Amino acid sequence: MKPRPPTLREKKRYLLLRIDPPIPDPDPKDLYFSVLESVTSIYGDAEAARMMPVVISCGSGYAVVRCIRGYEEKLRIAIVTLTSVAERRIALHAVATSGTLFALRRRVSGLSPVSFETISPLHFRDREYTARRYQGQKVDLQEKGINRQELLFLTQDDLEGI
Amino acid sequence: MDTDACIHPYPVGTASVRRMAMEAGALGFGGIVVPGEVAGGYHGVRIIPAVIIRETDLRRVIGQIRRQANSGNLIFVDAGDNGFNRAVLAHKGLNAIRCLHQIPKNGFDHISARLAYENGIAVEIDLYPLIHEKGIARQRVLNRYNDLMRLYSRYQFPLILSSNACSVLDLRSPDEIRLLCTLFGMKKDDTNRALQTVSTLLSPVESVMVTP
Repeated sequence: MKPRPPTLREKKRYLLLRIDPPIPDPDPKDLYFSVLESVTSIYGDAEAARMMPVVISCGSGYAVVRCIRGYEEKLRIAIVTLTSVAERRIALHAVATSGTLFALRRRVSGLSPVSFETISPLHFRDREYTARRYQGQKVDLQEKGINRQELLFLTQDDLEGI
Repeated sequence: MDTDACIHPYPVGTASVRRMAMEAGALGFGGIVVPGEVAGGYHGVRIIPAVIIRETDLRRVIGQIRRQANSGNLIFVDAGDNGFNRAVLAHKGLNAIRCLHQIPKNGFDHISARLAYENGIAVEIDLYPLIHEKGIARQRVLNRYNDLMRLYSRYQFPLILSSNACSVLDLRSPDEIRLLCTLFGMKKDDTNRALQTVSTLLSPVESVMVTP
């Protein structure tokens, strides 16, 4: 089948999103379903069909999402209301919007990659945690256990104060 | 200075106040209001202490407002029924009334709106239910905020915006808040003003008195 000429194709916009917490990366398929659910929940099926949100890529703490041009603001609003992916708490923050994937990938390459060191075990308030220490004071604590795995967000200063 | 008007760090939430301040600063806030915390700053973000009064008995509420009057804390009161709100809003010393999405529809009417304007008491718009609720619950909150914006356009009482975040994952940037507020018809200028209202509450403009 002959592809459509560029002038007849739908114009698209690409959104670069920062994933918080960056590790572990969510599954792109789960992320797609969560984004779609958020869009449908706020704007309904008709608007979601017009918007056509798609997850292009997801990894290293960032995700790229595509939509039809003119709907990027509505997609950003829907993404603000996204709170979990596959029952895992998550927050997505839009970093940049672009008309081409090339420009967005160039932007990602300019961002510093997420680096962390793992400290295990770490005792905090009589419980055992696995800690992930990121650059610039941030420390995430994941409780060890099977049933209840509490996630705490602290700083290096908080841990030094114990 | 853009300020998130209420967040709940550890032990109510899952993030320490320092981490909340750090993340809020990275998102673009200059200050955060934290109930039960001492005044200070971290990573360039101002931490503003507050007290939330959750009583339903008017006498106790007024007693607590008087006790906290010179403590340096911002004083917030949870809204109640119409009579309660009118009585509380007529009382000076209060800084903001909150949880308006949880009260009956006629709980905050044009008289309450006028009282809030006259006494410079801010009305809180809680973004937490907009982000976390779905379906009918969110529709109800949007409906209530639409109604509030109708009163705001007439009476121009101060508004404050709060994420009521219990975790760093609940925090949203000022830009995201501006977008979210368009859902209930709040204009970007009004959102900008609401994000800066806390600074006005801390240093209210008062009439000049000349002493001989």
